[in-house]
Amino acid sequence: MFHFQKENCRPDGRELSEFRTTTLNIGSISTANGSALVKLGNTTIICGIKAELANPTVEAPGKGYIVPNVDLPPLCSSRFRPGPPGEQAQAASQFIADVIESSELIKAEDLCIERGKLCWVLYCDIMCLDYDGNILDACIIALLAALKNTQLPEVTINKETCAPEVNSEKRRGLTIHKHPVGASFCVFDDSILIVDPTAEEESLSTAQLTVVTDEADRLCSLHKPGGTPLSGEKLQECISRATTRQREIQKLIDKVICSVKTEK
Amino acid sequence: MEVCESSKVSLREFGCEQNLLSRPDGSASFVQGDTSVMAGVYGPAEVKVSKEIYDRATLEVLIQPKVGLPTVRERSQEQCIRETCEASLLLSLHPRSSLTLVLQVLHDDGSLLSCFLNAACMALMDAGLPMSCLFCGVTCAINTDGQIITDPTAAQEKESRALMTFAIDCAKRRVLMSSTKGSFSVHELQQCIAVSQKASEKIFQFYRDSVRRRYSKNL
Amino acid sequence: MKDTPLSNCERDFILKAIEEKKRLDGRQTYDFRRIKITFGTDYGCCFVDLGKTRVMAQVSCELVAPKESRPNEGIMFFNIELSPMASPAFEQGRQSELSVKLNRQLERCLRNSKCIDTESLCVVAGEKVWQIRVDVSMLNNDGNLMDAASVAAITALCHFRRPDVGIQGDEVTVYSPEERDPIPLSIYHMPISISFSFFQQGTFLLVDPCEREERVMDGLLMIAMNKHREICSIQSSGGIMLLKEQVMRCSKIAAVKVSEITELISKALLNDRTARKAGGRCGFAESMPQERITALKTDETLMETSDVTERANDIVEKAGAPPQTVPSPLVPAPGVGQVSQGQQNTWGLQEEDEDDDDDDDEQNGKETKMETEPQEEEKGAGDVVEISDSEEEEVVILTSETSGQAKNADSSSHQKRAAASKRRPKK
Repeated sequence: MFHFQKENCRPDGRELSEFRTTTLNIGSISTANGSALVKLGNTTIICGIKAELANPTVEAPGKGYIVPNVDLPPLCSSRFRPGPPGEQAQAASQFIADVIESSELIKAEDLCIERGKLCWVLYCDIMCLDYDGNILDACIIALLAALKNTQLPEVTINKETCAPEVNSEKRRGLTIHKHPVGASFCVFDDSILIVDPTAEEESLSTAQLTVVTDEADRLCSLHKPGGTPLSGEKLQECISRATTRQREIQKLIDKVICSVKTEK
Repeated sequence: MEVCESSKVSLREFGCEQNLLSRPDGSASFVQGDTSVMAGVYGPAEVKVSKEIYDRATLEVLIQPKVGLPTVRERSQEQCIRETCEASLLLSLHPRSSLTLVLQVLHDDGSLLSCFLNAACMALMDAGLPMSCLFCGVTCAINTDGQIITDPTAAQEKESRALMTFAIDCAKRRVLMSSTKGSFSVHELQQCIAVSQKASEKIFQFYRDSVRRRYSKNL
Repeated sequence: MKDTPLSNCERDFILKAIEEKKRLDGRQTYDFRRIKITFGTDYGCCFVDLGKTRVMAQVSCELVAPKESRPNEGIMFFNIELSPMASPAFEQGRQSELSVKLNRQLERCLRNSKCIDTESLCVVAGEKVWQIRVDVSMLNNDGNLMDAASVAAITALCHFRRPDVGIQGDEVTVYSPEERDPIPLSIYHMPISISFSFFQQGTFLLVDPCEREERVMDGLLMIAMNKHREICSIQSSGGIMLLKEQVMRCSKIAAVKVSEITELISKALLNDRTARKAGGRCGFAESMPQERITALKTDETLMETSDVTERANDIVEKAGAPPQTVPSPLVPAPGVGQVSQGQQNTWGLQEEDEDDDDDDDEQNGKETKMETEPQEEEKGAGDVVEISDSEEEEVVILTSETSGQAKNADSSSHQKRAAASKRRPKK
């Protein structure tokens, strides 16, 4: 492995700062309000969005909420066992929730239908079908694409009965304010940085790092859960790589959404 | 009470007591302003077969919230702290054994994650575990005017638009861990890192002073 | 992790000492260890040190729907957490025999004794009541956790203030502490649990056993009592037979101890109240010993940050701006898109032959991009769609109807071929 890196190339023939082929399919689950399937090399992530009506909480009457959940079932890799979510799945769920909150990609106020009475809850179920490293990046892409794909029916509140009426004919998309995209890196002892690690590379690395940026080049998250230390200069390298990646992916998502629209 | 007097770039008063619990092999409490955390370390001790790693010690980090049971947020903080400690501890010196670090929240008044890190480092020192370097945690907040506040209180955290916590190592002042909230520009990030590196010097000086004080009578 | 075992000679030594009316820490048979009560910064937080045993109690409250059987009573909830910090034998999140036993005794001591007026906790009958939650965490186990926990819990309850509520119509408003002063709970009496351990089939009796003594004891008697000498709960465990006289003697000792401890609690509460009224700082930070050699404190420190901006600028500038152009994605079919840089790698939708074309296309895409500037997204995108459209004839076409699985199967066969042929030119 280290031999590979000295030669500035990686076991699968990529250069150090090269992502794997990213494939995106939207609307993969017809029963969900929105869905997307992302393949990043062999890593496959599917995200389905289910919208439900609920009562807003007392603390925030004018806000809806988003509940992300990352599931790493035993199906995707032999390292996961059945049962309650493991530490990695929990940490990933928390990370996705943090990204949603930090980037403000959806304003919680937009999900409110009537203040204090009714709001949307978006359950974002993200499931890994094949685990080959770098699930965080793939999860964010899947989530973003699925949210862009989401169509919510129009809901009005009947004045007399106070019961919500769902008009499934009229559907509208969500307003996505920001487009956060992540880029993950692995660090090896002598401060070699590689982008988009595979599962094998992840397990051999001494530190991992994920940078999330949005279209205005603002950082939404710089998540580095420990590992070997990095200097500010090195982090800057990662950030500039991440901004390039953001443009790439945003364009990809726009194009794919666009292609579906023209088809109709 | 703290808010009014603390100018923007300052650390709240901080303190630490080591070896305050009799049962753990190492313990410390760390106080930053009103935020306080207690840490206890057990080990190296026997490890469960399912958790055994053949070439190094297994480190477990547990965070006990003040009210209720640990949630997903605590889990992700545990992961951050564990990987930070793993990077600085020389775990390969104790293969096939277990280390347990328990962190108990005593009061949360902002900058909790950095307080966790500082308490963890002091407790590991107290337990006498071999480490390659020390680490410390610094939290920076950027308020709505774009000013950087170090070691914010809970009220300041609430008002800020971005919050970052870094773990800095003592050898080269590099970033061991980073965890952020809110959006910010690249420039702000680099400024915060630089500020944290400055702040870390003060904390490391404090570490040294407290260890010197502790062993002053043995010499 | 397992607890350190107690050796036989240690066991014999402790028993021998007890027979000679001596204890390990030099106490007399009926002596309690030193109790220290400190309070946290917020209301309802209390630390109790009983010798080296240390526990923390925190009271919190929440508005919930009441139980159907008692629509106008608040709910009390007790939780004793045996944190692994207290002893290596404790595990997180696991209900052990000991934790069940302690929880039961605390409930009996504080809930079933009706020491708290639960009816005053009702906000709207049948709809909203306060749930008072008491979390007791063990920080260090040096024996007699129960007594420490009961003192901590009742002190925390006395110290606690719940927010005031206002009812207007069916709207319930919870006032923040700044708006209206929070209200203390109404507590009728303060039950405190006192533990007695018995040795040699009940021949010897000790008050407040430490951890070592607990390990060698035969039986344990816990009496919860208030200062009016009313017994709230009595429980014997360990399976020893006790005579009536022994129980009577224990309850007499308990009465003395309870009145001592109650006085201590009242004094501690009063001290805290005057300190808070004086506006002084209180809480854990203040209770840290200053004189001990293991403790150190610094004052607020200012930092020199003049060169921070320059440093940050340096780093940002050194890194240079990221490239503005990015390769364009391919859209082989509606609803499917792909992006990859440079050469194709082992996994792709394209067949080997198209690689060159593909690269060229991307080059073109880049060039058009550079001319049109990234801001003009629409135009640039338009160009690229054209390119990929022209390719569609050669590419494996996937319509949006084909499911993800079909695509996998389809492409994995390409993958192998592509992989095989790709590796050769590289080496």
